[in-house]
Amino acid sequence: MDNIGEHPPEITPPTETWEVELQKVSIVRRILNSRKWYGADWWFVAVSSVLVVIFIIIAIFPSLFAPYDPSALVGPSFLAPGAYPPVPELIVSNTSSANSLKDLAVTSDQPRPTISVVQGGNSAGALNDAAKEIDNQIKNESGGLRLRPVIDRYATVEEALQAVVDGKDTAAVVGSDEFVRLKAQYPTLREGESIAGGAKTAGGFLLGTNDIGQDVWSRLLWGTRVALIIGFSSSLLSLIIGVPLGLMAAFIGGSFDRLMSLLMDSMYAFPGLILAIAITAVLGPSVINVIVAIAVLYIPTYYRMVRGQTLAVKEDVYVEAARSIGARSREILQRYIFPNVIPSVAIIFSVNVADAILTGAGLAFLGLGLPPTIPDWGIDLARGQRFIQNAWWLITFPGLTILLVVLAFTLMGEGLMEIFNPKLRER
Amino acid sequence: MHDDILYSIRKLVVEYTTRAGAVKAVDDVSLDIRRGEIIGLVGESGCGKSTLGKALMRLHTGPAKITEGELWFDGRDLMTLPIEEMPEIRGAEIGMVFQDPMTSLNPVQRILDHLTETIQTHEPEVSDADARTRAEELIERLGIRKERITEYPHQMSGGMRQRVMISLALALRAKLVIADEPTTSLDVIVEAKFLDLLKELQKEFGLTILLITHNIGVVAEISDRIAVMYAAKMMEVGDVNDVFAQPKHPYTQGLLRSVPNILLDGAELYKMAGAPPDLSHPPSGCRFHTRCPFVMDICREEVPPLEAIEGAQSAACWLYPSVMAKRLEKEHA
Amino acid sequence: MTPIGFVALIIGVPALILLGYVLITGSTGLRRYILTRIVLTLPMVIILGSLVFLVMRVVPGDPVQSALGPKGTPEMVQRIREQLGLNDPMIVQYGKFLVQMFTLRFGNSLIGGHRPIIDEMSERFPATLELITPASILALVLGIFGGAMAASHRKGAVDYVWRIYAVVIYSLPIFWLGLMLQLLFGVKLSWLPISGRIDPIIGTTLVHRTNIYTIDAIISGNWAALYSVLEHLILPTFTLGLILSGIFVRLTRINVIETLAMDYISAARARGIRERVLVYGHALKNALIPVITLIGLQVAILLAGAVLTETVFSWPGMGSYLVERISARDYTAVQSVIVVFALLVAMISLAVDVIYSLVDPRVRY
Repeated sequence: MDNIGEHPPEITPPTETWEVELQKVSIVRRILNSRKWYGADWWFVAVSSVLVVIFIIIAIFPSLFAPYDPSALVGPSFLAPGAYPPVPELIVSNTSSANSLKDLAVTSDQPRPTISVVQGGNSAGALNDAAKEIDNQIKNESGGLRLRPVIDRYATVEEALQAVVDGKDTAAVVGSDEFVRLKAQYPTLREGESIAGGAKTAGGFLLGTNDIGQDVWSRLLWGTRVALIIGFSSSLLSLIIGVPLGLMAAFIGGSFDRLMSLLMDSMYAFPGLILAIAITAVLGPSVINVIVAIAVLYIPTYYRMVRGQTLAVKEDVYVEAARSIGARSREILQRYIFPNVIPSVAIIFSVNVADAILTGAGLAFLGLGLPPTIPDWGIDLARGQRFIQNAWWLITFPGLTILLVVLAFTLMGEGLMEIFNPKLRER
Repeated sequence: MHDDILYSIRKLVVEYTTRAGAVKAVDDVSLDIRRGEIIGLVGESGCGKSTLGKALMRLHTGPAKITEGELWFDGRDLMTLPIEEMPEIRGAEIGMVFQDPMTSLNPVQRILDHLTETIQTHEPEVSDADARTRAEELIERLGIRKERITEYPHQMSGGMRQRVMISLALALRAKLVIADEPTTSLDVIVEAKFLDLLKELQKEFGLTILLITHNIGVVAEISDRIAVMYAAKMMEVGDVNDVFAQPKHPYTQGLLRSVPNILLDGAELYKMAGAPPDLSHPPSGCRFHTRCPFVMDICREEVPPLEAIEGAQSAACWLYPSVMAKRLEKEHA
Repeated sequence: MTPIGFVALIIGVPALILLGYVLITGSTGLRRYILTRIVLTLPMVIILGSLVFLVMRVVPGDPVQSALGPKGTPEMVQRIREQLGLNDPMIVQYGKFLVQMFTLRFGNSLIGGHRPIIDEMSERFPATLELITPASILALVLGIFGGAMAASHRKGAVDYVWRIYAVVIYSLPIFWLGLMLQLLFGVKLSWLPISGRIDPIIGTTLVHRTNIYTIDAIISGNWAALYSVLEHLILPTFTLGLILSGIFVRLTRINVIETLAMDYISAARARGIRERVLVYGHALKNALIPVITLIGLQVAILLAGAVLTETVFSWPGMGSYLVERISARDYTAVQSVIVVFALLVAMISLAVDVIYSLVDPRVRY
């Protein structure tokens, strides 16, 4: 017992703790190691991050993935998904001797042949392409034959065929399936050869075409661009305005804080969509206006969170302690407040983008906000609703895409939240 | 099995799963709790005493698990029971008093409901009126006016809330009461009253109390025996008077020496060098060897078993011949 | 009695009784709290209303001119502007606007026959009410039950199923869900109608007292009408309710998890209270308290969802009214609708706060 007073022997230095070991490990290792700890949440974040990156790439380079121009009327209307457009063929009257397009070539003093087609669809395009090609072929040959038909557009197949029967047009070019369907009604007409051309639609339409013949798949891909632009821009704008306001309110306090908080709480409580509707109604339809309208909606979210966290940290004992040893506000901000605030802001941002995309689509669906010339999922859904009875693919796919994109961002936010929020971790 | 041992803890191991792997918060600890005694379990924060207390009623959930050991309570090993049967024992045969009575009481439940729910969970045949009567008697015994039974926890003072906690532990005449840091959140005067009350109740109800605390003074006040834990292991066990008069383990010695004595005018405060080890990578051999003034080679290599040194006092330290003898026995076996 | 009057009565009377009870039986602290809340509601409504006022005045160009279109001669425009008081100085306009807002006298519609807006609303508002009430109930029941179940099986399969459910529902565009349901049940299976509140022929037999068709049908014993109304109500209710439930699952789950981690749950467990009682009895009840305050905020999402749902299903409520009036550039109507929404949100917030103060004894005593 008397030995207690003696100087204690050398203390062996502690072996490296696991924290130090962890720091030495590279970031890749850490990400892989954390998989075991976080379990499924790790998968949430991983899978959704990959999806988000894919969507961003599609948004930046839609033409790489989209086979057609989204606004071009490349196909016949209401083509079901996976279908190929029918091959257009030449229809002539039984008395005509022509079989192929080339047979219709004439010399310059003869009247040009008139060919009827149906408006929209790919017959007109195919005819144009084929005629040009044949004309190029024959114009250097002897005989002086040229093929430059006058093209008459009709609203329906029946009208186009009737025009040939009536003698108004020399021939018609319609889809082979359409003629097969109506053959019995026009006994004086017969089929000729098919028109090669319209090769650009030979690839078919993966998800079908809409009411005016645009390719659904291409529109989906191009729609990503608008959606993500709106999503990211508005969220960024909200962040840039909301976060500093929140910090200021927490630091300055007083009547500025009270007033601002009252304003923000009122805005927060009010239905966002309705506020956005009001703003876009007033500002008019354009992408920028939509971005501004949606940005306004989410400013209170950032404000409240940043203000709340800053206040909580500000009043925390260790900040008081730091202040008592002379730490300045800026240092306090940096060391104590930011590390708490930044992960939360990241989570909010992720969910915010998801929400903004949803709101933007909602606005477009209601017919507000975006000019109708821009390919957008919401607009497509609204248009598609009119044809719900016969063209189910027009509403299924755009909506599914919205779901997937929003899901990707939301999952990321969810996963991040479980990882960052220590209160919810296992005790 | 001695008749007077209420709870025999044998070679208990409790593991926590953490990011760095499994950590043993209680590592091969054995302890016998005698019927009718008050035994104090002391140690620094993080030594495993609270974990041990919780393990006695298999209260752990989530990342903590009892991985080895036997818990012989009143003649049967609780570890052999399916976990679904533990709620029958909790509250009825083993009771627990928690550290912070404010957070340990449901803020939206009246005191009355706390008590009647406990009573009726274990004795469903008791009517509401009878349960209420019992509850009122109970809190009156603990010095709270029975009119206050319909109040909510936030309407009471800290001391009263702690007494409510005791009443909850006693509602069904539990045989063993585990008090986990019961006075840490109380001020000194209230603490003194609380300890008096505890001693009274123990006599009146014939309770056995396991008093878990880091405050040695409290242990000195009311305990019959004391058990000292360090770094998840048991270091010394013995009669309170014996251990205080002649602490065998160097850790206990250091601990007692650290208590400031107002009579030693002007003397410097004694502080043990070093700090408790990190339990995810505990030191080899005796856990205390890195801070022990009497460290020997063997201390660094082998873990000393807990053996009787003198009479009823045991310590886990290679300094003592009886401990060393056990090792030689094993070697020659 | 006008429909809107009737609705105001069945909501207002119990509300006032409740308020009275709370004020009388509560402690002084509670009384002060409630009165403060009521007083604070006022600025909130004023702020929202003023925002609307400002926003509407920022319209570039002349709203009257664009409403009348090319038919409107400058004289006509001026005359209508005078009538609507649009030429008065801003302050005067603002004052009149505030009076209008609190007396609910919104004036007449700019377009379409100059019908008093309040009349139009007295048909539309009950329609929205008829939609959002069952939708909210569905959302609450589904959400709270799911959230509690998920929390009690933390990290188990059930937990993940509910979490995925919540996330997918949250990401689901409500209008798309409506469309898909229309497609499946209305078009492909032809089980349910996809637009309107009631079959138009049967609708003529219904006597409109409250304009809440279900109630009207029950009151007058018109079972055919009741059947038709319920038929029409199913899909929109399900759409709105399902989407809202996702949020409640999430909220409940998080709150129950946090509550389960509380010390008093451990303490109760140490007394032998069974796990199931702990989760559904103690933790859920306690967790619901913060959820109540959050319910108030979900009203915003409810109303936004209602706008979209009503549009998809051609449900003639306040939401579709708003969208129609915007396309028609009927700015007075739009302004009025938004004010009504603001009032609605404020009232519900207040109601929720009062309920919260009743439920949480820490505030009450």
